[in-house]
Amino acid sequence: MSAMATSAVRAPARVNKQAITRELILRRIFQYTILSALAFLIIGPITVAVLGGLKTTGEIFAEPFGLPAVARWENYGGILVSELFWRQLGNSLLIVGGTTLGTVFFSSLLAFVFARLDFPGRDLLFNYFTLGLLFPLTVAFLPVFIQVRNLGLIDNHLGIILPLVAFGIPGSTLILRGFFRAIPAELEDASYIDGCGTLGFFWYVLLPLARPALGAIVVLQTIVSWNEYFLPLLILTDDSKWPLPLGIMQFQGQYGTDWGRVMAFVSILMIPAVLFYIFTQKYIVTGLTGGELKG
Amino acid sequence: MSSIAGQRFRVLPPQRPAGRNRPRTTREQLLTIGLFVIPGAIIYTLFLIWPIFQAGYFSLFKWNGLGVPTDFRGLENYVQAFNHDVFQQAITHSLIITVLSLVVQLPLALILSVTIGRKLPGRMIFRSIFFLPYVFSEVITAIIWGFVYHQNGMFNTIFGTIIPGYEPITWLADRNLALYAVFAVITWKYFGLHMILYMASLQQVSSEIEEAARIDGASEWQVLRFITFPMMAPTIRLTIYLSVLGSLNQFVLIWVLTAGGPANATHVLATYMYRFGIKSFNLGYGSAIAVIIFAVCLIFSVGYQRTIMHRDYAGAVE
Amino acid sequence: MNARKWLMLTLLIALLSVSAAAAQENVVVRWWHIVTTPAEFPVHMEQVANDFMAANPNVTIEITSLENEAFKERLATVMQAGDPPDLFQSWGGGVLWNYASAGLLRDITPELTADGGAWQNSFSAQAALNLFKYEDGYYGAPWNFGAVGFWYNTELFEQAGITELPATWDEFLGVVQQLKDAGITPIALGQKDKWPGHFWWVYLAIRTGGQATFEAAYTRQGSFADAPFVQAGELLNQLIALEPFQEGFLGQTYGDEAAAVGNGTAAMELMGQWAPGVQRGNSTSGEGIGDKLAWFPFPAVEGGLGTPSDVLGGGDGIAVGVNAPDAAIDFLKYFTSAEVQATHVEVMGTLPTVAEAEAGVTDPLMQTILGFRNNASYYQSYYDQFLPPAVAQAVLDAVDGLFNGVLTPEEAAQSIEDVASMEL
Repeated sequence: MSAMATSAVRAPARVNKQAITRELILRRIFQYTILSALAFLIIGPITVAVLGGLKTTGEIFAEPFGLPAVARWENYGGILVSELFWRQLGNSLLIVGGTTLGTVFFSSLLAFVFARLDFPGRDLLFNYFTLGLLFPLTVAFLPVFIQVRNLGLIDNHLGIILPLVAFGIPGSTLILRGFFRAIPAELEDASYIDGCGTLGFFWYVLLPLARPALGAIVVLQTIVSWNEYFLPLLILTDDSKWPLPLGIMQFQGQYGTDWGRVMAFVSILMIPAVLFYIFTQKYIVTGLTGGELKG
Repeated sequence: MSSIAGQRFRVLPPQRPAGRNRPRTTREQLLTIGLFVIPGAIIYTLFLIWPIFQAGYFSLFKWNGLGVPTDFRGLENYVQAFNHDVFQQAITHSLIITVLSLVVQLPLALILSVTIGRKLPGRMIFRSIFFLPYVFSEVITAIIWGFVYHQNGMFNTIFGTIIPGYEPITWLADRNLALYAVFAVITWKYFGLHMILYMASLQQVSSEIEEAARIDGASEWQVLRFITFPMMAPTIRLTIYLSVLGSLNQFVLIWVLTAGGPANATHVLATYMYRFGIKSFNLGYGSAIAVIIFAVCLIFSVGYQRTIMHRDYAGAVE
Repeated sequence: MNARKWLMLTLLIALLSVSAAAAQENVVVRWWHIVTTPAEFPVHMEQVANDFMAANPNVTIEITSLENEAFKERLATVMQAGDPPDLFQSWGGGVLWNYASAGLLRDITPELTADGGAWQNSFSAQAALNLFKYEDGYYGAPWNFGAVGFWYNTELFEQAGITELPATWDEFLGVVQQLKDAGITPIALGQKDKWPGHFWWVYLAIRTGGQATFEAAYTRQGSFADAPFVQAGELLNQLIALEPFQEGFLGQTYGDEAAAVGNGTAAMELMGQWAPGVQRGNSTSGEGIGDKLAWFPFPAVEGGLGTPSDVLGGGDGIAVGVNAPDAAIDFLKYFTSAEVQATHVEVMGTLPTVAEAEAGVTDPLMQTILGFRNNASYYQSYYDQFLPPAVAQAVLDAVDGLFNGVLTPEEAAQSIEDVASMEL
C-alpha cells in the first residue's frame, strides 16, 4: 500500500520538489530577513545597556544609541572591584539557593500528596493551594511585609526566602503534580510489591523520574528570586545583606543619577542571567511544556 | 506525552483508584499526608493566604497605614474606585493591553514558532535570542527601554538615519501613543515565552499528517489552518489564559517606564493601586483595588476553565 | 544547601541576636539617609558619623543609605509597621506631621530649648526649622535648605537680545517669546517626573494668593478651588500656549531637563539650589555651561496677593524616630552644629541652616540664594512634601493635567480640592 502510494505520487512529487526548491530559497530569504529584523529588535536594546555602561551620563542623554567618544571601562571596573558588589552577589546566591530549595522541597511533598494519594477533601485542599496563582506578590507586599515583621524576620534573609517560597508553591506544585500523575500506576504497584513504603516510592521512584520538572522549578524560581527587587528593599536594612538588584541604588541620587554606572551595573547583572539561561534553557523548556524540544 | 503546562489547568483525568496493592493502613496514610502537607501549608498560609485576607479586611477602612485601622467605611472604598475616572481609564487600559496581547503578541509568537519551528536552519540561534528578554528582570527591562524610546534614543536614531526629513517621535510623551509603546515593551519581554510554548507543542504535531495533506494538494496555509493549529489548540488555549492573567497584573514594567503617565494615559489596574493606594498613603483604598484585581482574575480564571479549557480534558486532541 | 546547613544557619542567627542583646551598654543609632551620589558624599556622611563615634565610644551609628524613591517606599512601609528608624531623612511638612500625629516621632523640644534655646537659636533658617514643628513639638532639624528659582544661560539670553531680567510674569512671557523668536528652546522641563512641573504652578499660586490664601486652604477656612489657585493655572496656561519647552518634555525626566540646560540647548529651568551640580553631571562635557550660568528669582504677578520676596523652597533635614535613644539626638545636634555644617558646605556644597556656617558659602550664585532664603517674607516648602501624601499626589496630577492640556485651570484646582476636602 505504501509502495503504491509512493509510486502514484512520485512523478508529480518530483516536479513539485523542484518548484519548492526555487520557492524555498525565496521563502528562506524572506524568513531570514524578518527573523533578523526581529532579532535586531531584541539585541538592539541590550546593546544600548552595554554601550551605556561605557559612557558618561551626559553622553547617554545626548546619544543613548551611539558609541562613546572614549570608552569608560572604569564604570565596569569600578563595580567589579568593589567589595560590596561581591558581597551582594553572595547574598543573591543565598536568596536564590534558599528560595529554590525551599520551593522544591515543599512543593514536591505537596504535589506527591495531590497526585498519588486519595483522601476526602483532596480537591478542595488542592484548590486552596492553587488560589495563590491569582495573587501576584506586587499586589500583596504590604500585608506580606507586616507579616514578616510580626514574625521577627526583618533584616534576615529568611524574611525574603519564605515569602518567595510561599508565592512559588502554587505554580510549582501544579507543574510537579502533572509530572507525578503521568507516572504509571504499575510502577507504583511494583515498588510496593518490592517492599517500598510510601516514602520509598516517593524518594526512589517519583523524584528521580521527575528530574526534568524539578530542574524546571529550580530554573524558574532562580529567575524570580534573582530578579526580586521589592521584597529585599522592604525587608533588608543593612546594605551588606542586600542582593544585587538593590545595588543599582548606589548610583541614583535624590537629584541626579549616574546613568553610566547604572547601565554598567545593569549589564553586569544581565551576564549571569544570560549564562544561566544558556546552560539551563533545556530545563526551562521542559518545565514549561513537559515536551522534549529538540535543537 | 501530554504537555505538563497543559495539564496544569486540567480537571483531573480519570484515574485508577489509588492503592489497590498498597500495604498500608489509613492511619499511616494520614500521617504521610499530614507530614507532607502541613509544612508547606504553614508557609503558604502564613505568607500568602493570610496577607490576602488582611488586604480584604483593610479594604473596608479609610486607613493611612499608620497604626491600627479604625475608620470603618464599609464598601465606600469600592464605590469611590468605580466612580473615579482615572480608575475607569485604568480598567480600559488593562483591557486594551489584554486584547492586544491576544491579537498581536500571541499570533506573532505563533507565526514565529511555525516559521522556525522544526526545519529552519539556525532555529536554535533565533529561539535563544527571542527568549532572552524573558530572563531579564522587569526593572532592568524598563530602565533600558526608557533610553530606547528616548528623544535621541535607538528608534529615533535609526529612523532618523534611514528616513529623510524624519521628525523624532516622542514615544512616551504622546498620550495617544504611550500605551502602545508600553505594550511593545511587554511584547518584547514576553512573546518569547509564548513562542517557546508553541514550539514545544509543535514537536508533538505529527508531521506525517501534515505531509499527507500536502501531498493531497493542500496549500501551506491550509495545512496550518486545518491541521497544525488545531493540533496545537490545547497549548494555544493555555497561552491565552497565561496571557490574560499576565496582562491584568502588569505592574513593574509600566511603573518604571511611565509611572502611569503622561496624564494617566498608561495607568493600568496595578499601577493605579500603587499610585492612589500606596503612594498616597490610602492603604485601605489600595487594598480595595487589590481585592478588585483579585476578583477580576478569579472570575476570569474560573470562567475560562469552566468554558474553554474544559475541553482539554475531554481528550479531543491529545 | 542541605537541611543541616539550614539548621546551622538558623542557630547562628539565633546566637547572633542573643549576643547582641547581651552587650547592653552600647547604644545603636539607626540612621537612614539618601545622600548616595556622587560617591564622595556618602563617604562624607560616614566620616561625620565616625567622628561622632570616636568621641562617643559607646555609640554605634548604623548607616543605611538609600536612593530617594526607594527610601520613600521603605520608610512608608516601616512607618506603617510602626517601626521607624532612629534618624532619617525628612523634608519636613505634611509627611512629617502625619508621622508625628501618629506618635511615630520623638519630640526633641527639650533638647532644642535647653541652655536658653542655644540649639534652636543657632538656626538662621527658622522657617526651615518650623517645617519640623508639629503642634507644640519639634521632631527634627534642617541642615540644607535653599530656594527654587530660574537658572539661565546668559549667553543664550544675550543671543536673543534680552537685556533685562523679567520682574513680572508678563515680562517673563515676553522673554520666553523673544527666545523662541531667536530659535532657542526657552525652557527645559522633565515632566515625566511630575515634581519639576509642579514648581511652576505652586510658585504662581504663591504669587497670586500669597501666604493667606494657602493657609486658609490648608486649614480648611478656604479652598484649593479658590480664585488664586485657578488663576495660577490660567497664568501657567499662558506659558504653555507659547510651547516653550523642549521637544518631548512630557515623557522626559528631570535628568533630561538638567542635560538640556547643561548642554546649552535650552535657555533656562525653574529648579532648586542643586541644579548646577546635576547640570554638570548630565552634560556631555561633564562641565555644564560653566560661568554662563546665572540665577534670577521668580517674577511677580501683577495684582497678586503675594510679594516677590515670598519664597518656594525646601531641602534636607533629619527627623527623629519615636524609639530613638538620647544619643540619636546628640548626633543630630552634632550634625547640625556650625562646625559640622561647615564641612557639609565644603564637601557637598550645601546651603547651611546656621548663620556661622554661612561664611563657608563662596559661590556667588549660592550666596544670592542664601540671602533670598534668609530674607523670605513667607517661606513655603514644596507642596509635594508639605501637603499630606494624598493631596500632594493630587497636586502633582492636577499640574500634570495642565501641562498635558487635559484639565482646565478650574478642573485642576477642583481636583486638588476634592482630595483636600477628604484629607485635610
